[in-house]
Amino acid sequence: MLSLDIERALGDFRLAVAFEAGDGVTALFGRSGAGKTSVVNAIAGILRPDRGRIDLNGETMFDAARGIDVPTPKRRVGYVFQEGRLFPHLSVRQNLNYAGLFSRGMPAREFDRVVELLGLRDLLDRRPGNLSGGEKQRVAIGRALLSSPRLLLLDEPLASLDAHRKNEVLQYVELIRDEVKVPIVYVSHAVEEVVRIADTVVLMSAGGVLAVGPAEDVMGRSDLRPGEGTFEGGAVIDAKVVEQDIEHDLAVLAFDGGTLTATNVDALIGEPVRVRIRARDVSIALERPQRISIQNVLEGKVAALGAERSGIVDVTIAVGPTVLRSRITARAAKQLDLVPGLEVYALVKAVSLDRRVGAG
Amino acid sequence: MSLTTEELEVLLLSLRVAFWSVLVSLPCAVAVAYVLARASFPGKTLFDAAVHLPLVLPPVVVGFFLLLLFGRRGPLGSILEQWFGIVVAFRWTGAALAAGIMGFPLMVRAIRLSFETIDRKLEAAASTLGAGWAGVFVTVTLPLALPGIITGVLLSFARSLGEFGATITFVSNIPGETRTLPLAIYTYTQTPAGDAAAMRLSVLAVLLSLAALYVSEVMVRRAARRVHGEDAVA
Amino acid sequence: MRWHFSGILAFGILVFAGAAAADSVTVFAAASLRDALDENAKAYQAKANNRIVVSYGASPALAKQIESGAPADLFISADLDWMDYLEQRRLMKPESRKNLLRNRLVLIAPADSRVSVNIAPGFPLARLLGDGRLAMANPDAVPAGKYGKASLEALGVWKDVEKKVASAENVRAALVFVSRGEAPFGIVYRTDAAADSRVRVVGLFPENTHPPIVYPIALTATGKPAAEAFLMWLSQAEARAIFEKHGF
Repeated sequence: MLSLDIERALGDFRLAVAFEAGDGVTALFGRSGAGKTSVVNAIAGILRPDRGRIDLNGETMFDAARGIDVPTPKRRVGYVFQEGRLFPHLSVRQNLNYAGLFSRGMPAREFDRVVELLGLRDLLDRRPGNLSGGEKQRVAIGRALLSSPRLLLLDEPLASLDAHRKNEVLQYVELIRDEVKVPIVYVSHAVEEVVRIADTVVLMSAGGVLAVGPAEDVMGRSDLRPGEGTFEGGAVIDAKVVEQDIEHDLAVLAFDGGTLTATNVDALIGEPVRVRIRARDVSIALERPQRISIQNVLEGKVAALGAERSGIVDVTIAVGPTVLRSRITARAAKQLDLVPGLEVYALVKAVSLDRRVGAG
Repeated sequence: MSLTTEELEVLLLSLRVAFWSVLVSLPCAVAVAYVLARASFPGKTLFDAAVHLPLVLPPVVVGFFLLLLFGRRGPLGSILEQWFGIVVAFRWTGAALAAGIMGFPLMVRAIRLSFETIDRKLEAAASTLGAGWAGVFVTVTLPLALPGIITGVLLSFARSLGEFGATITFVSNIPGETRTLPLAIYTYTQTPAGDAAAMRLSVLAVLLSLAALYVSEVMVRRAARRVHGEDAVA
Repeated sequence: MRWHFSGILAFGILVFAGAAAADSVTVFAAASLRDALDENAKAYQAKANNRIVVSYGASPALAKQIESGAPADLFISADLDWMDYLEQRRLMKPESRKNLLRNRLVLIAPADSRVSVNIAPGFPLARLLGDGRLAMANPDAVPAGKYGKASLEALGVWKDVEKKVASAENVRAALVFVSRGEAPFGIVYRTDAAADSRVRVVGLFPENTHPPIVYPIALTATGKPAAEAFLMWLSQAEARAIFEKHGF
């Protein structure tokens, strides 16, 4: 359990952040320059705040008032850097075991477990210089895991990877999240990553915290418009796979309020899935449409209408207890005479669903 | 070419003097290079200049200062003798001291350069994994600075082999004790019929330097490969 | 601080101040002549229209330089052997050669040493040295060293002290070792001992124990005519007086 409340002036930029992170993945999400890396560096002890306090598992790491500043080597925080930062003069195996040199190592079976978990067996005797970006990041994660950490910090670990590798490594991160009982703080400016991974989201902007809360809530809040542009607001839904159409490579996901048909879901029946539906991918109809390609037609009710901005309006639709958002033109809203309470149909194309695999 | 016993004695003395001069000055050079590369403090420029003095002063002047300081009646020489029982005047240890001091700036420069090019982020990563300052230095900083350290050692060793002015001024020219290769060659040039012998020893000196250069090239290249994280060549 | 190292510095450094004027005379002289010859050069320059440039060093070093073509006009050696060496190679003008000076060989000790020595056959120099060293110019090549070795051999003492010799680059360097208290004893010329107040003479080597210490002077084969005038001047009264003042 991490508890943090710090302030720090860095030139013109002022950092003032407070939040708590429990088990699971806490994402620090925000644009570049929001101060996310500074927060993580403060947790690790690399950056010294001007004021405030950082507690980890009940132990005080930093307390400006009492003059406490535990040095980095003693904080037992595993840090995976954006660039990996593997030691080039050591083999992968030696990198993994590095913390063991300083009594921060773990028993041999942990080594084997991490190696299997991250698929590092074939890389053990290689040197970092000849590894691909994805391989380096996996080793970096393994190295941090094997340092008996009480907390894992991942600072944009996918930033320097191409799309294919991003996916590969992200799967490993999810695996870690599920298999290793250590809380994770995950820094990212990429919505897809956060949606897929995070349990809790700390939304940051310009050195401050805009919102803290469960991922579905924070990522869905259109008034915050996290991580965009005008195109990214939407809803995040927890669902479960109930049917597979192998022939058409489709799956049916059941959520609280209905079902969704989605493409490209590589999960098994019964597995939980989190789905993100972008507001711009949701259309509204007053009648159930006939002979239309859209696979998902959900019955619901208009819950609220957002303020009009640049000719665009966000409509909140309740489908049972689940909330969806639809972004349409203000003219369309007028044409359909949308008002709260109106029964409508929410239309979502099967191909437009962002999905992820794994428990929430 | 086979060597006379006299020539062998000169060769072995030169190697011994050069070896010890480098060995003893190495830890000091590493420390000084580290301080110059990382620390900032008032008077740093002055300190840097002082370290480079042997490089710019005439060797004879350096020899003279050594005589003043480390002679038996000199301030440092008397301490060495009274507390440690070490006498450097007229002894091969004095020749090693002279050689070590003349080569010191070369060693410091090469090592300092190496320290300055090390990615500090790697050191930060090491500290998150539990390494204190000393741990980082030994497991990350030093190994990554190895190519520069090897270069510095070689430069200093080569300088030692060729050191003349400071040596002859400080510890004179004593066969078997301080008559290193350059002093022996010089002595032969002063002897009427000594040109042939001087030539022989000069050829020996050239061969020695070539050998040292070759060994260092191989070592630096291997160390650099390792530092850049490439897999070892089978 | 006495800079006795100009002699050493002179080796390998041919000092030609500014552009070599047609009327500047270059003299290569044995290290032991330093102070005396400097004064003479100054006196001469006050009178004549030439610049005198002197390069001091160990005689063998200077001889080898002349052999390699160094542009010296005059050479003053500390013994006959090195002058003969150059003459044999036809590098000197033999008709200009003459013996200019004489000197005596002395045993010196640091000024604060209380030792007293009687230089006689078999005198216990080795025992007096203890584990210290005997500072001399190179006994195999440099005149001051050769005279010293010859003398000690004649006295039957050389065998015992041979291993204790600290061989210096030239006689002035040997002087410094004693003057600094580094070596308990040294062998230098009487004129050298007189030049340094931090040494004292503890014994005079009898003249019959070594070849006569004679300083020949001659023009080099390539020497300028102007050099001859300086050579002449060094042989007459005013110059003599200056040399005598320094102990020659």
